[in-house]
Amino acid sequence: MLACLCAVLWHLPAVPAHNRTGDPGPGPSIQKTYDLTRYLEHQLRSLAGTYLNYLGPPFNEPDFNPPRLGAETLPRATVNLEVWRSLNDRLRLTQNYEAYSHLLCYLRGLNRQAATAELRRSLAHFCTSLQGLLGSIAGVMAALGYPLPQPLPGTEPTWTPGPAHSDFLQKMDDFWLLKELQTWLWRSAKDFNRLKKKMQPPAAAVTLHLEAHGF
Amino acid sequence: MAAPVPWACCAVLAAAAAVVYAQRHSPQETPHVQYERLGSDVTLPCGTANWDAAVTWRVNGTDLAPDLLNGSQLVLRGLELGHSGLYACFHRDSWHLRHQVLLNVGLPPREPVLSCRSNTYPKGFYCSWHLPTPTYIPNTFNVTVLHGSKIMVCEKDPALKNRCHIRYMHLFSTVKYKVSISVSNALGHNATAITFDEFTIVKPDPPENVVARPVPSNPRRLEVTWQTPSTWPDPESFPLKFFLRYRPLILDQWQHVELSDGTAHTITDAYAGKEYIIQVAAKDNEIGTWSDWSVAAHATPWTEEPRHLTTEAQAPETTASTTSSLAPPPTTKICDPGELGSGGGPSAPFFISVLVTLALAAAAGSLLI
Repeated sequence: MLACLCAVLWHLPAVPAHNRTGDPGPGPSIQKTYDLTRYLEHQLRSLAGTYLNYLGPPFNEPDFNPPRLGAETLPRATVNLEVWRSLNDRLRLTQNYEAYSHLLCYLRGLNRQAATAELRRSLAHFCTSLQGLLGSIAGVMAALGYPLPQPLPGTEPTWTPGPAHSDFLQKMDDFWLLKELQTWLWRSAKDFNRLKKKMQPPAAAVTLHLEAHGF
Repeated sequence: MAAPVPWACCAVLAAAAAVVYAQRHSPQETPHVQYERLGSDVTLPCGTANWDAAVTWRVNGTDLAPDLLNGSQLVLRGLELGHSGLYACFHRDSWHLRHQVLLNVGLPPREPVLSCRSNTYPKGFYCSWHLPTPTYIPNTFNVTVLHGSKIMVCEKDPALKNRCHIRYMHLFSTVKYKVSISVSNALGHNATAITFDEFTIVKPDPPENVVARPVPSNPRRLEVTWQTPSTWPDPESFPLKFFLRYRPLILDQWQHVELSDGTAHTITDAYAGKEYIIQVAAKDNEIGTWSDWSVAAHATPWTEEPRHLTTEAQAPETTASTTSSLAPPPTTKICDPGELGSGGGPSAPFFISVLVTLALAAAAGSLLI
C-alpha cells in the first residue's frame, strides 16, 4: 500500500511570471521541459533495469505481465484517446505536474528502503532530476499564467502506516511505480510535443497554418 | 374398378424396388472427403463392398494397378502430395461406380508465426500471421486479443486474409497486450501467443514520395524532399523524425543523416557528376522502431559542361523533377533560417528561367547565416 508524506512538494516556491519585453514566451521552456522528459526517460531505463534485477524474478523478466492490482494511489498515465486529445493546455500541464509530484514522493519512499548504496545513489540522482522536471513544468505553467495545483484540504497525501503486507506485494508496488513512471515520461513527451506545436514562435505563415487546423 | 388398383400397386412396387436398387448400388452423391498425413499409409475401403468383391480402382479417371489392392481395398503407402485426388472404385464386371473418395494429403499445422505492429499510432495496430511451412490443406485461424483482462475485437482486414486490426481505446497504458492465435486443420492443431507493451510495436510506414533534385549551379548539392507516410494519422501531435541515407551508385558505403524535424534536407557533400541513390526512414520521436527504408530516389548533382553527355540527359530530367515538385508536401515545415544549412525554402518551387533562379539564389544567400 503506497502512502506518502508529500506536504513539502505542494509548497514549491511559485516561479514568478516574467514580463520582460521581448520575452520569447513559454516556447523555450516547453522545449526545455520536453528535453528533460527525454533525459529522464533515458535515465530511468538504466535505473529500472538495475532496480528490477535487485527485486529479482519474476519482476525482471521481460514477459512479466501481472494484473494491475493494488497500487491504486499511483497516478495513472493511461487515458482515453479522445479525452487526451481534447485536454486544454492548463489541464494537460496540471495533470503532468500532479502526477510527477506524487511519483517523486513515492520514489523517495523507495529510496529510503533500497538495500544497496549504489541503488540509493541512482535513485537519489533520479529524484533530483525529477524535481528539476517538476520545476520546469511549474515554470511553464507560471509563464502561461496558470496557478500551480494546490492540494485540496483533506486530500493531502500523508503517511499512514498501513497494514504490513508481504514482501512480494511491496515488490509489486515498486514494479508498478517504475512502470507508471516510465509510461508518464512517454506521455509527457507527447503532451509537451502538443504544447510545443501550439506555442510556435509567431511566424505569419505558421500561425495561419495552425489556425487552419482549428487550434 | 379392379383393373386400375393392381396397376397402381405394380407401379408403386416398381418405384420402391428402383429406389432400393439405387441405394444399394449407387454411391453417395458427393465423394467422401478424406484427409491423410503426408508420409503415412492409408487403406481405402470400397464403400460397403465385401472384402472379396471384384472391384477396380481409378484415380482421377486413370486405372490403378491391381497390386495396390488388398481384396477390394486400396492400399497406399508412404503418401505423397501427388497422391491427392479423386479415387473411385467400380464393380469390375459391370463398371458400376460403387464409392468415391476425395483424398487430400497434407500436414498438421506447425506453430504459427505471429507479429503485431502499429503503423497508425495512436489509432491502433494490426497483427498478421503465417505458417512457417505449408500444410497443403485448408486451415482455419482464430485470433484473440486481451488487454489485461479485457477482450478486444480484432477486425478482419478486408483484403488480406492473414491480418486483423485492433483500435486503441486508451493510450499510455501500463498493461500489456496479449495476442493469441490458434490454427487448426483436419490433421491437427497448434497455437502461439505474444505479449507486448503499447509502445514497443510502434513502427511507421516508410516516408512517401522521396524526391531528389540537383541544385542549379551547385555541383555538390542534392536537394531531397519527402512526405510523412499517409498512414500516420497525426504527425502534429505525434511527430516523426527521419533518417536519410545516400551514396553514389558506384560506392557501397552509405552516408547517414538523422533529422529531428522537417521533411527536406540538402546534401552538400555529393561527388560531382555521380549518380546518387537516396533513401529515407521514419520513426516516432520517442517510441517504437524505425520504419523500413523508403523507395529509393536517384539523382545526379548539377554539372556545368553543356557538351557532357550526362548534362544533356539531365536537362529534361531536371525539368521533369522540377515540375513534379511544384506542389509542396502538406507537412513540410517552412524552413527556419536558423536551422543547419538548409538554404532557403527547400520546398519552394524552382523556376526554370534564369532570372528568377538568380533572384532566388540572391534571396537564399541573404537568408543563410
